Amino acid sequence: MLVVTCPGCSLLCEDIELVLKTGAISQAKNLCRKGYGHFQSMFTERTEPTIDGQKVSMDEAIVSAAEILKGAKRPLLYGWSNSTLEAQKVGIELARKLNATIDDTSSFCQGILMERVLKGRVPTCALDDVRNFADTSVFWGADPSNSHPRILSRFAYYPRGEKRQKSYEEERTCIAVDVRRSATAKLCPNYYFRVPPGGDAEFIGALMAVLEGKIPKFGDKKRMIELGTVLRKTEYGVIFPGLGLIYSLQEKMGLLEALVARLNEIATFKVVPMVGHYNMRGFNQLLLDETGFINRVAFSDGKATHGPENSVIEASKSCDAALVIGSDPLSALPFKTAQRLAKVPLIAIDPRRSLTTDAAKVVIPSAMYGLEAGGSAIRMDGVKIEFEAMMESDLMSDEQILARIKEAI
Amino acid sequence: MEAVVSIVTFRDIFQYEAGKKGRYTPEYQDLSAQIILDKQDMAKLGLKDGGKVLVENDVGSIIVAAKASEDDPHPGLAFMTNSPWSNHLVRDDVCDTSIPGFKSIAAKVSPSGEDITKIGDLLERMKA
Repeated sequence: MLVVTCPGCSLLCEDIELVLKTGAISQAKNLCRKGYGHFQSMFTERTEPTIDGQKVSMDEAIVSAAEILKGAKRPLLYGWSNSTLEAQKVGIELARKLNATIDDTSSFCQGILMERVLKGRVPTCALDDVRNFADTSVFWGADPSNSHPRILSRFAYYPRGEKRQKSYEEERTCIAVDVRRSATAKLCPNYYFRVPPGGDAEFIGALMAVLEGKIPKFGDKKRMIELGTVLRKTEYGVIFPGLGLIYSLQEKMGLLEALVARLNEIATFKVVPMVGHYNMRGFNQLLLDETGFINRVAFSDGKATHGPENSVIEASKSCDAALVIGSDPLSALPFKTAQRLAKVPLIAIDPRRSLTTDAAKVVIPSAMYGLEAGGSAIRMDGVKIEFEAMMESDLMSDEQILARIKEAI
Repeated sequence: MEAVVSIVTFRDIFQYEAGKKGRYTPEYQDLSAQIILDKQDMAKLGLKDGGKVLVENDVGSIIVAAKASEDDPHPGLAFMTNSPWSNHLVRDDVCDTSIPGFKSIAAKVSPSGEDITKIGDLLERMKA
């Protein structure tokens, strides 16, 4: 039996017990469906080194990738959220060396909020604090039952913690604010608050009014007052913003900051962004440390500039080559962006087949983290998690592949 | 006969797992090439569960299966899992934050007799 860390999401659960037999997982303990999908995927649709769809050696693929990047005037290096800190570090060095644009999935995901968290503008806490102290968890535009399946059982709702021995039966309240009755909302039917799409700013306004003792002008007044009462009685509350809230607020993110500041006048309130990919936060932290920016960076003569023009969406319009690592932008990004990426010389480093590897000029297979390769990553709450390779593999890790490309340039 | 809807995308763990089995698996197509419509909108379009619909806007068009929502009424609002099918309709001309409208896709829905769009077809359109 192997005890492994699961990089299926940014909870990075370290208590996964697996028994593997040839080509399948035969037994598993503590593994959620998402984690099962991750580990089981090791046995299907693995990539091989290819150039223009023809099988080549790893050395040939790496040399070809290096030549493409070296010959490009405006290379884009994208992905990163599913790679270890060690690989991300080499990636940032590679971007600097190439005078490339570098961006990660946070650019169209949790980036706006994560920047505020990493710069200390929004109070945050570790998930262990959530387990030990939190009596109210608010999942806002987030459906952890589908995105972070074990957050409720390990930290936010069901477990007994230091100050929460009576747990969900008596001491914890779980609130879902969403545009639909999600699986998570069904778990807390009395505390599901429906918000119309794009209505989160008004919802925050109504909540602020309630906290001031005023009658809210938005939504179901009685229910808004009910929500205000729960929040007022809270000792230690945590808001978990999902993409629903992020996309709805965008440039109005200051409203969430203001709400959290107001709530902290009443009790302790923290914010933990619902980061999807297992090491998005790691990339944001590393790039911030290196350049002062969490994403969307272009290097020129070693200097970093930052702006929306360096987002993967915008950079895809001007790049003349792209390296994509651990990500499938052709599946995940808007059609026109995917179309542009499919038309430049594309290098895909990935353990598994995807639309992006299918469109890539050069495909470089990599080892799968959690089993075939180890390293370290930053969990969604900022805690560093280290894990080792659990089985022997001939495959190179992202870090090794990037180091080889960098060396060849 | 058509309905104008705003599509909100969401995450589904079963679709995620199917995608991990493979992007080209029938399970992934079934759980991705699907639009959840309000019962009133289904009735307006004369649709039954599983009925095929054309979903289109000025970005692109796809054929997917319609499914009746079990949620509280939400006419004019539709839901799709986040996938290459939904992304085929997402605009990339973005506002200052450079975040595309993944959760606010304006589209028209109408009944269709055509086959459900395959993921391979979507890839071909990207390469074209």
